[in-house]
Amino acid sequence: MWAYIIRRVLATIPVMAVVALFVFSLLYLAPGDPAAVIAGDQATPDDVERIRASLGLDRPYLVRFGAWFWDIMRGDLGTSIFTNLPVSHMIAQRIEPTLSLMVVTLILAVSIAVPMGVIAAWKQGTTIDRLVMAFAVLGFSVPVFVVGYVLAYIFALELDWLPVQGYTPFNQGFFPWMENLILPSVALGGVYIALIARITRATMLEVLSQDYIRTARAKGAGQRSILFLHALKNAAVPIVTIIGIGIALLIGGAVVTESVFAIPGLGRLTVDAILRRDYPVIQGVVLLFSFVYVLVNLVIDLLYTLFDPRIRY
Amino acid sequence: MDRRSFLQAGVAATAASAGYAAPALSQGAAARTLRFVPQANLANFDPIWGTQYVVRNAAAAVWDTLYGVDENLVPQPQMIEGETVSADGLTWEFRLRPGLMFHDGAPVLAKDVVASINRWAPRDPMGQMIRAIQDELVAVDDRNFRWKLRRPYSKLKYALGKTGTPCCFIMPERIAATAGNSMITEYVGSGPMSFKRDEWVPGARAVFERAARYTPREGTASWLAGPKRIMVDRLEWVVMPDPATASAALQNGEVDWWESPISDLIPLLRRNRNVLVDIADPLGNIGSFRMNHLHAPFNNLKVRQAVMMALSQEDYMRALVGNDTALWSVLGGFFTPGTPSYSEAGGEVMKRANMEGARRLLAESGYANEPVTCLVAQDQPLLKPMGEVTADVLRRLGMNVDFVATDWGTVGQRRAMRNPPGQGGWSMFHTWHAGADCVNPAGYNAVRANGEGAWFGWPSIPSVEAGITEWFDAPTPALEKAAIDKINREAVQNVVYSPTGFFKSYQAWRRNVSGIQKGPLPFFWGVSKS
Repeated sequence: MWAYIIRRVLATIPVMAVVALFVFSLLYLAPGDPAAVIAGDQATPDDVERIRASLGLDRPYLVRFGAWFWDIMRGDLGTSIFTNLPVSHMIAQRIEPTLSLMVVTLILAVSIAVPMGVIAAWKQGTTIDRLVMAFAVLGFSVPVFVVGYVLAYIFALELDWLPVQGYTPFNQGFFPWMENLILPSVALGGVYIALIARITRATMLEVLSQDYIRTARAKGAGQRSILFLHALKNAAVPIVTIIGIGIALLIGGAVVTESVFAIPGLGRLTVDAILRRDYPVIQGVVLLFSFVYVLVNLVIDLLYTLFDPRIRY
Repeated sequence: MDRRSFLQAGVAATAASAGYAAPALSQGAAARTLRFVPQANLANFDPIWGTQYVVRNAAAAVWDTLYGVDENLVPQPQMIEGETVSADGLTWEFRLRPGLMFHDGAPVLAKDVVASINRWAPRDPMGQMIRAIQDELVAVDDRNFRWKLRRPYSKLKYALGKTGTPCCFIMPERIAATAGNSMITEYVGSGPMSFKRDEWVPGARAVFERAARYTPREGTASWLAGPKRIMVDRLEWVVMPDPATASAALQNGEVDWWESPISDLIPLLRRNRNVLVDIADPLGNIGSFRMNHLHAPFNNLKVRQAVMMALSQEDYMRALVGNDTALWSVLGGFFTPGTPSYSEAGGEVMKRANMEGARRLLAESGYANEPVTCLVAQDQPLLKPMGEVTADVLRRLGMNVDFVATDWGTVGQRRAMRNPPGQGGWSMFHTWHAGADCVNPAGYNAVRANGEGAWFGWPSIPSVEAGITEWFDAPTPALEKAAIDKINREAVQNVVYSPTGFFKSYQAWRRNVSGIQKGPLPFFWGVSKS
């Protein structure tokens, strides 16, 4: 197992290097100029050129890439063109809200979707099953921002139960922290609940038709035991896979959700950086997201061995 | 169940067992904090290095200016106690008012002022003009400094107190010593508020506190002039990229003041009895259809004139700000309506679209169906509709439109390129100019027509430039007005650019906030919250 983990971790290095090269090249080729954005609408061409030179944007591709790559090898993600703050500092400022949003959404989605899928499979063809599937279709179909606006209207403006926007750090208390996360997590969670519930139902249906389930029933095992101990454990591999993929999708979903609920997370940081062509920040955040994705895949692979001992590496 | 009950229930259910903290912000603390949603993110905080309005707006709270333009556009002494000018107009002696202190406790000295002017002047069009005729700028002692010129410059106080970017903010000498093309990293000023750098989350939040060491002037506050009395302890800028969220937050009382609500949401805000909506800035903005004078087809005067004749400002304004006619008007000139500079000399053609006449003029011009490369920023709510109106007008006029839908960052880069449109260049783009910058030629880059040195599009029209020179040299308001008429007439005749209308915008705030001034930027002094 340890050899496998080490092998997998080492395999992430070339992946990250390729990602780094890709990200840098893409930004280099992309149209747009941070100097023009910085200079503002009233600036003269001379202003823009002066700012370009001061930022080093007039240097050749290879020189810029070499300098940047050398810096990230030393753990230096660079300095934001606009704020003059270290990118690592900006990421550190923004990582907690995004992580909080993702964790709460994931917990919400898994704790609702897995039982929903199991029950739908158990009650296949019944009204309950159809309701679960209808909800799943709805969850897929309605965009996150629409759900967000509706939730904010009902629970913030009309009922005055929850805030419309913002984020309170966890160290200021669990409830203030949670208060700001409920609406965005529910808005963002809809898609994942739908996704996980559908996969869980489909996998459970397949597993429930297996011989060992029939055997368990014949031996007198209870319904709960059959569903959650025998069937669910054997259905776990695809469910875990989809949860893992969901984490990657959450990163994308967080961008929209953070904008709608004005949460100062990495999603908004990324969008702001892209619109301003703040290259060091875009590069830093994309590298981080890539790293998270690679890490999640690693964890999923390792979880497979726990759920299914037949899987050996 | 209201929010407080919900919170209590939630706290009872969750926090009691775990011992977590409950919300602690008291009503008193909330009343001493003004929460403001700015027009854009405060992405950097150097008002000399960057020239965005949002940076200027934040900087005006932190750094003070020597003079401050009031609502009548007259520069009033601000950090200055008084000045004397020699009879020949060449030597200006300034004296700082007593008691000026930077936020770090150091007194404001004349050497700080000299260093600040030296950093500002190369970045500012008026500053550059003054430097070009400067003999010396020196600190005489701690409170006095002298500025000697080689020829008189009657607009000197205006240059030091104007609202247009970059403003001449006064910083400590050690900070002002930073080159103008490098960003400052300390935000120490002598203005009415200090900046909480440790709480700054670019893209999300900026925090300011009342500066204990600031001593206001006597009198009445008016724009950048007069006493800047801060009535709250703390000012929080909450950046909200989504207008619907900002609107909901304002209605919900989570923020107090929204600088730039979009016009679509105004009716909704007006229905809320806790929210007030009013015009933000009487000087508004001037929309701009900017043409590239270097290349075909707009290097042809008759083509430019045909386009100006075809444009309907009303169409642009309705697309931009809707049917609320209190918000917009059609322009017959280039300068800001409602100010002494506004002129319609020669501008009748701008006020009414004449498509038939424009088609005739285009036919006379010899237009050879060259593509018109229109750069249209899709991510700017004001520019996208302008681009769509233009594409429609040009097509109806019979021009070959190459509509380039892109983002503002790309427009910003591409408009600086002087290549022909087919080689990465461009034919036209849209923008708008703050009315405060268009009240006279001093800060109005867009109307300059000095060829290589002009703004994007690089018009070269000596008669316009002659008018601008006459304005700077004009010793009386009457002569200034004559110069403005000349500039307007020549700018229309030669189509320096084509204005697309004058429009204002709203701001919105909670009813418990008072003291908000109308002006080209949000002034935080005098604003209180009950």
